[in-house]
Amino acid sequence: MTPEILEIIDLKVDFCLQGKINQAVGGVSLFIRDHETVVLAGESGSGKTVTALSITGILPPNALIAQGKILYRGRDLLTLGEDALSRIRGNQIAYIFQEPGAYLNPVLSIGDQLSETIILHQGLTKEAAREEAAELLALVKIRDPKDIIRSYPHQLSGGMNQRVFLAMALACKPRILIADEPTTSLDVTVEAKMLELLMGLKKEIGFALLFITHNLSIAKKIADRIYVMYRGKIVEEGDQDKILTRPEHAHTKELVAAFEKIGKL
Amino acid sequence: MKNNKLLTIGIIIISAFALIALFAGLISPYDPSFIDQDNLLMKPSAKHWMGTDNLGRDILSRIIYGARISLSIGLIAVGIATLIGVLLGSIAGYYGGIIDGLIMRLVDIMLCFPTFFLILAVVAILEPSIYNIMIIIGLTGWMGTARLIRAEILSLKEREFIQASRATGASSGRIILTHLVPNAIGPVVINAILGVAGAILLESSLSFLGLGVQPPTPSWGNILIESKSTLGVAWWITVFPGLAILITILGFNFIGEGIKKRIG
Amino acid sequence: MSYYIIKRLLGIIPLLLGITIISFVIIHLAPGKPTQLEMSMNPKVSYEARLRLEKLYGLDQPLYLQYTNWLKRFARLDFGPSLTDNRPVLDKILERIPVTLTINISSMLLIFLVAIPLGIRSALNPEGAFDKITTFFVFLFFAAPTFWLALLLMNLFCITLGWLPVSGLTSLDFEYFGPVRKAVDLAWHLTLPVFVSSIGSLAGISRYMRSSMIEALKQPFIYTARAKGLPRNTVIYKHALRNAILPIATILGLSIPALLGGSVIFESIFAIPGIGRLFYEAVMTRDFNLIMAEVVLGAILTMLGNLIADISYAYIDPRIRYRNEK
Repeated sequence: MTPEILEIIDLKVDFCLQGKINQAVGGVSLFIRDHETVVLAGESGSGKTVTALSITGILPPNALIAQGKILYRGRDLLTLGEDALSRIRGNQIAYIFQEPGAYLNPVLSIGDQLSETIILHQGLTKEAAREEAAELLALVKIRDPKDIIRSYPHQLSGGMNQRVFLAMALACKPRILIADEPTTSLDVTVEAKMLELLMGLKKEIGFALLFITHNLSIAKKIADRIYVMYRGKIVEEGDQDKILTRPEHAHTKELVAAFEKIGKL
Repeated sequence: MKNNKLLTIGIIIISAFALIALFAGLISPYDPSFIDQDNLLMKPSAKHWMGTDNLGRDILSRIIYGARISLSIGLIAVGIATLIGVLLGSIAGYYGGIIDGLIMRLVDIMLCFPTFFLILAVVAILEPSIYNIMIIIGLTGWMGTARLIRAEILSLKEREFIQASRATGASSGRIILTHLVPNAIGPVVINAILGVAGAILLESSLSFLGLGVQPPTPSWGNILIESKSTLGVAWWITVFPGLAILITILGFNFIGEGIKKRIG
Repeated sequence: MSYYIIKRLLGIIPLLLGITIISFVIIHLAPGKPTQLEMSMNPKVSYEARLRLEKLYGLDQPLYLQYTNWLKRFARLDFGPSLTDNRPVLDKILERIPVTLTINISSMLLIFLVAIPLGIRSALNPEGAFDKITTFFVFLFFAAPTFWLALLLMNLFCITLGWLPVSGLTSLDFEYFGPVRKAVDLAWHLTLPVFVSSIGSLAGISRYMRSSMIEALKQPFIYTARAKGLPRNTVIYKHALRNAILPIATILGLSIPALLGGSVIFESIFAIPGIGRLFYEAVMTRDFNLIMAEVVLGAILTMLGNLIADISYAYIDPRIRYRNEK
């Protein structure tokens, strides 16, 4: 069995809202092995996104990590300074988010946003980075990458933007890709293509994937292992087969039943 | 909590000035127009708390009576502006179509004129008087309110209860009065309160230039006319009336901001 | 994009008509004939000038003819003679424009150079100490009448300390100065006027920048920028600021009416021979032709300012730039 590349131990995250402290994540532990696909499942508001954002410390300003360790290849990311962390973010650990339209900067061209990451982490010149950006777009199966590079996010469809986003995340061949509901805003057919692309690239590049979703039918398609999260805690974990066919926790059973009912599992 | 504090301070300031204006005759230590040849340009003292001007008039008394003029100009001017704005805004928003187009073009056109230029031009023609100033400031300040009301009404128009009252056969005017205007009133009140501050500033600038309230009637702006010629000689003529304007405007701004944040 | 510009240009036609109609109405607001009013108000107006004025306004003609004739003259930039010295109004305005322009451009620069960094700094830590202090001063300067601030500062810097000149544009012996000293002398005279004319807008725009920046920093794409590992400064100054500053750019156009109005006040206080002071003098002497010319020109300038603001906004924001191309 391959070793763990990322391990979260007893993570607690608090949010400060209008002077009140709310616990968003209440003691989450999970691990991801190299090259593995782990699905973090749960309904919205269960703390999945907050857990994911905690990994490289990009939480909103009113959030506070109260406790826990996040070990990346044996190093606790929570003890690293901002500089050391930024060398890991986007370089070794990359993200893609739910609504690519909102998560891409509306006033910067696709080329600018792509090459920015490349210049930062690989030290290429501007021209070389633009070449590289075009190649990345080709990698995510975008036709006419030279045209797309000059366009802006609002000119592209949701599916296209998500491909751009994927290209941006993979720019530095990360060791871990964290995908937070990356297909939720897309049509079903676009979703299927996107998943296919993602899993193909995973095989090609060889990163570990932490996939966050509320959709168990996606989990069934891609997951090696599944964590089920409920109200800020992991309530159940195990291999895909075990979680989807023999759920133990009441909440997991509910989720599975709901998907079985609509024939999606 | 903090916003309530802002609101409270604002209300205290404005109530204080309102009381001063109302009871000017009782509070004022001297007749504001009384010329005292023996006490020209006196420093602030126990006898004249804020000193006297170049004609020996008591500055404090002039500020107290000036509160009356300045506050009433501010309030009435904004009253006029709000009335026009609400009326035209409601008509535009409710009827839409050509009427809306015409009214909104008028708004655009009025917004093109530098307000101060327009007011000065009209004052030059009509003679500066307290009433003219109230009316002119009112006539040049209604556009924001009209836009606000129109926008509110356009969004309210789509809501169910309006459609429901239409279905029951209520008349257009009735619908506007009973549903739309009360719903849109919050932002208009904020606009009006901030508008009073703006109108007082305008009045004081006009009076300072000699084109507003005419002496001997005291207004905060025209007390300051003398301050330029007495610069370096009698600082009190400059400082106190200006402070009165500053504090009053702060008060109105505090109330406006306080309500704005409270409504959200 | 060109379609958008053409559409906007066509849109100014009704505005222009409206501006001229309202201005025309203002002339006729006066009880009785405008010429009579001028006579009574301004003894300097000679009988001859009055006759010329009667002819100029064509007061014996029906109103619509009066308006169209007036409009025709305006279109030729013929605003008639000044009633005080008979010189063409246009000449008088043109010679005053450079001074006002210099002051307004300088204060614009000052406003943007100070207000934008202030707003950003406040937005980075809202409710922090820096933000609270600036909020306090913003409220204060926003509420203080410009002319009063001018008087206080004059008292302090020009009279008590004697560091700056009280009024005017140049020193008495200006003509004998070399070019460098001339520039220094001008700057020295303009320091206080520029500062005073900036302070109110500066307060307002820093507030605007603050809220715009706070809004931008909350946007999802900021998470992306951080997730990429970009340094904090790149996240703030490239990703957030580029979005936050777009609406600020349009303020430049929108602040023209306030600047023109303000120039009347501070040019009068500091005795600066710009168009603001010219307008003030025109109002004081009831110089009708001059008043109307400045009102209409001021309105047209404002309209053009708005137009330029809209078009440049459309140009710098790719969302609008490309939407209008389709």
